[in-house]
Amino acid sequence: MKRNFCFAMALVAAVAAARILSPTVRAQARATEKPTQVTYTKDVAPLLADRCGMCHHAGGSAPFTLLSYSDAKRHAGQIATVTGNRFMPPWKADPADGPFVGQHPLTDREVLVLRRWLDAGTPEGDPRDLPAPREWVEGWQLGKPDLVITLKQPYTLPPEGTDAFRIFVLPIPVDTERFVRGLEFRPGNAKVVHHANIRIDTTSVSRKLDEAGPGPGYDGLIARTATYPDGHFLGWTPGQVAPLLPAELAWRLERNTDLVVELHMQPSGKPEQVSPSIGLYFGDAPPTRTPAMLRLGRQDIDIPAGDANYVITDSYTLPVDVDVEAVQPHAHYRARDVRGEATLPDGSTKRLIDIADWDFRWQHVYRFVTPLSLPKGTTVSMRYTYDNSETNERNPQRPPIRARWGQRSAEEMGDLWLQVLPRNDDDLNRLSRDFRPKVAAEDVKGYESEIEKHPADAGLHDDVALLYLELGKSDSAIAHFTTSLRLKPQSAAAHYNLGTALTVARRLDEAAAEYRQALRIDPDYANAHNNLGNVLLAQRRFDEAIHEFSEVVRLQPASAAAQKNLAAAYAAAGRSPRF
Amino acid sequence: MLFLPLLAVLVQALSGAPVDAMQAPPGTTAIVFLFTSTDCPVSNRYAPELRRIADAFASKGVVFRLVYPSPADDARAIHEHMAAYAYSGAFDAVRDPKQSLAKFTGATITPEAAVVVGGRVAYRGRIDDRFVDLGRERPAPTRRDLFDALSAIVDGKPVPHPTTQAVGCFISDLAR
Repeated sequence: MKRNFCFAMALVAAVAAARILSPTVRAQARATEKPTQVTYTKDVAPLLADRCGMCHHAGGSAPFTLLSYSDAKRHAGQIATVTGNRFMPPWKADPADGPFVGQHPLTDREVLVLRRWLDAGTPEGDPRDLPAPREWVEGWQLGKPDLVITLKQPYTLPPEGTDAFRIFVLPIPVDTERFVRGLEFRPGNAKVVHHANIRIDTTSVSRKLDEAGPGPGYDGLIARTATYPDGHFLGWTPGQVAPLLPAELAWRLERNTDLVVELHMQPSGKPEQVSPSIGLYFGDAPPTRTPAMLRLGRQDIDIPAGDANYVITDSYTLPVDVDVEAVQPHAHYRARDVRGEATLPDGSTKRLIDIADWDFRWQHVYRFVTPLSLPKGTTVSMRYTYDNSETNERNPQRPPIRARWGQRSAEEMGDLWLQVLPRNDDDLNRLSRDFRPKVAAEDVKGYESEIEKHPADAGLHDDVALLYLELGKSDSAIAHFTTSLRLKPQSAAAHYNLGTALTVARRLDEAAAEYRQALRIDPDYANAHNNLGNVLLAQRRFDEAIHEFSEVVRLQPASAAAQKNLAAAYAAAGRSPRF
Repeated sequence: MLFLPLLAVLVQALSGAPVDAMQAPPGTTAIVFLFTSTDCPVSNRYAPELRRIADAFASKGVVFRLVYPSPADDARAIHEHMAAYAYSGAFDAVRDPKQSLAKFTGATITPEAAVVVGGRVAYRGRIDDRFVDLGRERPAPTRRDLFDALSAIVDGKPVPHPTTQAVGCFISDLAR
């Protein structure tokens, strides 16, 4: 009895200690099992095919194959070691979480089988025991795409350096609105592409960033205008393909939308050509349900140099019932321990994700096999721990320096994204309305911190001013638009923006003056005419208002809204339009 | 005084002919064996750093030899590998399919360096400490062990850390 108890304790300890199996545990485990011979054909080949083959096949994303006896034998020592310390198969989440799509864990017993095969001298066994060979689909895993988008010219990654990031902007050539059920990413050079962060941009902001510099793509940050479509994740990590969505959950793709693909690459030792491609799969009908993307996280991260135990927390209480479809934690090199959980109204808790040894290089989207139902009143929360000391080998700064929030990989972030599906559109709207101020308030902190670092970046002032307007803080918006205008006094848009904030603050004379400044610089600025018209209308200066709205109609003759505004101005003035 | 004969360690030239790995031109102060493999990503990522080290010490009587211990790496694959990673010219290459040289030097990993001076292994281990473990790497090395060992050797000083633990791919298990 006592002996069994000790064995159980030893196993628990071994599992807790990063799952490294001590020789004692191995010996005891061997003693308790039948002394059958472990062979390649009977025991090892099925494990390698099932848990490793999706990457370690010819043409797969791994550097070598593991599907023949000679391959397996050649790597037997490595296999036993890297499965023993759980480096492979790569899965950072606690095995008790989920289960998630694409999770291929090895049980402790299976890890032992691989170790015992090595210890036995890698015997081949009876060929009749071999499992039927698996066919690995070459090319597109989801079938032939309806649309394939590729880079016009490949990108050349230099031979060395640390992690490299490059953002590519690819127009999506559709001539009408489509409903996207699937997006498959192919790295084009699996040896160096470590993960892809994919968004869509319906504005021209990302495209202009790409066009501004030489070569395909640009270095820098993903623009704020590049977002997840209709609450859907679009990322890629090696060995993973997001399954096709049910037709009811497709996302809407408008014309003139760009794909924004940020590649995280690791130099290989020689120059590498990288040419990713993306396949899109369309459905026939518009979606009937739309998920929402919730983002927990902090943008006031400020970790002192040397602090080995810096903790951030965040939480949000759901105003409606939802199903959690997927989660994605995000942090950079200093994060150690990443946890998310849900506390239900009855006080019980459900784990969302636990990663005890966070690795920035595995930016995985964890999709629940069975969505996690959370009733209204559930609090979802996160707790991330950071190590900004020298003992964290991954620390990008040595000696460590103060680390604040920022999207560059040398700065820090801490987000937990949750893709949730509300019961219906009413609930979706309720959730969006309730959640939006929280995320906008957090974004403001991030912007204020960026502005402290880059006070002369007018774009940052413009963006944060828009957030302040959204939060009903027009005074702060006016302050930032004023700064932006001081930085680019010849910009019609800067005058226009300030005019808009002054209008919201009901400072109408000042607003009118700014719109007029904008029009002095750009007389054909239709929106400035329109907003000035509205101010003049509110001031009951009808003739001037009618003049401004007439200008809008002149500039935008096809705009129904412009016609309507002009008609309304005439009506307010108690006159009928003269044509 | 009795002269101890130096043992030959037989490896294969890329032509297939057996050669003594320890054979070197007159004036050689040290031979650096760099255990590598065509398909080990960690090993390949060190190519630019190895070229820099070779550039720094080639004029000081240090000979650099790539060693391919995996029987699967044949002469043709090795030629392609050396061209792709720009080793050609700066490095000799030998095959060690029976892993005699790996055993002689104690190398078990690719990439791993063994520096032989006067028939004895003066340094064996990692190139630098950039990789802490598989999947755990520093943004930049804090110690350049091979470079420091070679600096000591050409200066006639003792090597500060004669053995270190290399991180990378296991040399094939054939000869275990």
